[in-house]
Amino acid sequence: MEAVVGNKKRSKGGLAISKGRFVLGVTIPLLLYEALGIFILGWAFALIFFDYSSGRVGGPFLGLGGSNPFVGLGHFVEMFSGTSVKASLFRMSLKNTLIFAFAILPLNLVVTLSLAYLLESIGNRFKALYRTIYFLPVLTSSVGVALIWMSMYDPQAGWINAIIRFFGGTPVSWLSDPRAGFLGVPVAMWAVILAYLWQDYGYNMVIFIAALQNIPQELKDAALIDGASPWQTFTRITIPLIQPTLLFVCVMTMLSSFQVFDIIQVMTNGDPGNKTQVLMLDIYKNAFRYQNLGWAAAESFVLFLIVMGVTIFQMRVLRTDWEY
Amino acid sequence: MKKLLFVLVLASLLITACGGGAAEPAAESPAADAPASGEKTMVRMWAHTNNSFIAGYEALIAAYEAGHPDVDIQLEHFDYELYLQTLQTSMPAGEEADIIQLFGTWTSQYHERLAPVPANVMILEQARETFYAAPIGGYEVDGVLYGFPQEFNMEYGGVLVNKTKFEAAGLTYPPEWKTMDDVLADAKALAQKDEAGMQSVAGFHFTAADPTWASFLAGIKQRGGDYWNADRTGFTFNTPEARAQLQWMMDAVNAGVVDPVVFNDSTNFVIDAFFQGKVGIGYIGTWAIAEGQTNFPDFADEWDYVYLPPTQGEPVFVADSGWGLTVSPNSKHQDVAWDFVKFVTADPKNAAQWNIASGTIPAMPAVAQAPEIAEAMPWVPKALDSLPYGEYLGTMPDRDLVMYEIIYPHILNALQGVETVDQALEAIDAEANSTFE
Repeated sequence: MEAVVGNKKRSKGGLAISKGRFVLGVTIPLLLYEALGIFILGWAFALIFFDYSSGRVGGPFLGLGGSNPFVGLGHFVEMFSGTSVKASLFRMSLKNTLIFAFAILPLNLVVTLSLAYLLESIGNRFKALYRTIYFLPVLTSSVGVALIWMSMYDPQAGWINAIIRFFGGTPVSWLSDPRAGFLGVPVAMWAVILAYLWQDYGYNMVIFIAALQNIPQELKDAALIDGASPWQTFTRITIPLIQPTLLFVCVMTMLSSFQVFDIIQVMTNGDPGNKTQVLMLDIYKNAFRYQNLGWAAAESFVLFLIVMGVTIFQMRVLRTDWEY
Repeated sequence: MKKLLFVLVLASLLITACGGGAAEPAAESPAADAPASGEKTMVRMWAHTNNSFIAGYEALIAAYEAGHPDVDIQLEHFDYELYLQTLQTSMPAGEEADIIQLFGTWTSQYHERLAPVPANVMILEQARETFYAAPIGGYEVDGVLYGFPQEFNMEYGGVLVNKTKFEAAGLTYPPEWKTMDDVLADAKALAQKDEAGMQSVAGFHFTAADPTWASFLAGIKQRGGDYWNADRTGFTFNTPEARAQLQWMMDAVNAGVVDPVVFNDSTNFVIDAFFQGKVGIGYIGTWAIAEGQTNFPDFADEWDYVYLPPTQGEPVFVADSGWGLTVSPNSKHQDVAWDFVKFVTADPKNAAQWNIASGTIPAMPAVAQAPEIAEAMPWVPKALDSLPYGEYLGTMPDRDLVMYEIIYPHILNALQGVETVDQALEAIDAEANSTFE
């Protein structure tokens, strides 16, 4: 009997050791990875307070100080009240980013929700086909999308101008005319917004389709019996019931819009006259072209604060405290 | 268990934090780092990816290794944007290659992280005698030499000309331009519009970024002005000479030689547009020749590369150095690295071989005048009279920012009708001077 108990104890101890080893084996790599992430974030945060350039040796500790001097909050003061070229470029980039993000969000919602509603109303036979077609641009690389739209926008050989010429209109230099605009926004910005929207809408559409499919049919039937029109059903039944999804889509769309980079870099690189230069592009240029890593880190921090603020606002406005 | 995890996390944080520090330059003790008998000394070299440049390097590496069987030079190259990022992340970490290809104007930004040229390799006075003033100027910072140029990057004055279009327009070919008015007269005859009124062929495409700043600065110099103040601590762009040059450019646009909305740096870039038959005269550096031949092999029109007359007076111009080679202070084999750099850049025969392979203008007068250069690159002899007039652009806090974010955008704005001449010059002057702050 004692021998059996002893074996049980030994085997239990062995299991505990194995568990411990397993936990360590799984946790240590993760912790090391996290530590690296924390170091990178900490490093970026430290750079905010220095006029740091990778071309200068600087002080003995991580190159901070010396020829990479401490500037405190100087970058932020310069950004919002300075007269230097990098300050004016920052302000213009911030304005362009806000225009881009606040134009994309409503357009994206209108297009994706309408399409999702439309697809939900057609027969199952074609549903999968259309869903695939609409989702394909999401799978395409941004560079490829940019090149396709650039060829369409080409002032001389693009088919958009070809159609305008066919109807006797005046062709437009879509991506390089700083004078042309619509609703106070340069036409080049609208051109980029349209390309981005085309690439991105399939993602939200699929999410909305899933949300629409989860709405109980009884609720719609009840509304129909009560004499609600299709529009009333949509606005008073569908929209409130997909509000959690709407919140998710709004937050994710805003996040990705504020971080837009590749499609703009390829299509315009910020031209004409920096009218399409967004914050991510300005951060990239400052960090890797002009070596102003401290300034770029400060810009990134501002972008982080803006995105966080907008996200919190959206979550407060669109949050729900019920489930169905 | 918790304590163990805490210790591990703390240790990993410390390790990662310490790992990010700049490495100390290697102590110069060749004996300590000398390879064991029979082993090769391995030297790493970095360059940006340009197929003709790389082909030139590879041939010279093979030649050097044949003469030095104990040396193994490993060439690594990166796409341009990736190369910039690699330099900026590796140099602070002390992880860069032994030999680094740099553009001359970058040297002033990186010189704290570069090894000065040892006196036994070449002293500054010798370098000034060996190379043209413009290219060597980029490698000199505060009287210290940090490397050697391989090319004379001349963005000023050279143009691609489309012979087929000249003949179709009934113009004299090759062009016999005495003044810039002659150029504009030909350009007006070459320009074409489509049925909707949009320019389909630019007579004289000078509105890309490099030609714009190069012709603007050269025009200021040729009119007797300067864009530097007396002690070179600030810029003077709001001057009568600058105003006259910008007005000349405005007049050329108003004459219809180019529509800067349709032809600029991002739309219809001069090389692409020229080799697609959309340009009669295209203002661009000689580097465009090799690129055009490579990227547009099916272009059927006959063409050539010629030089423009000065706006007025002597053909004085400024140039921003050119690509060249430098050595890392962290290299354990600096002696071998410098020996190779000198072999590639300062030996006239080898330098000529690289210039021919890369299609670039030589940085040394002795090489530029060599018969093999004239035979391989007939456009170089045409530039020989101009090259001695080239001055180095000058050491700026941030050359790219001044050229591409200040001068070019404001001049283009003026040419596109968004700003007046005065507004553009005032903005350029104020913004360029703010880069000194």
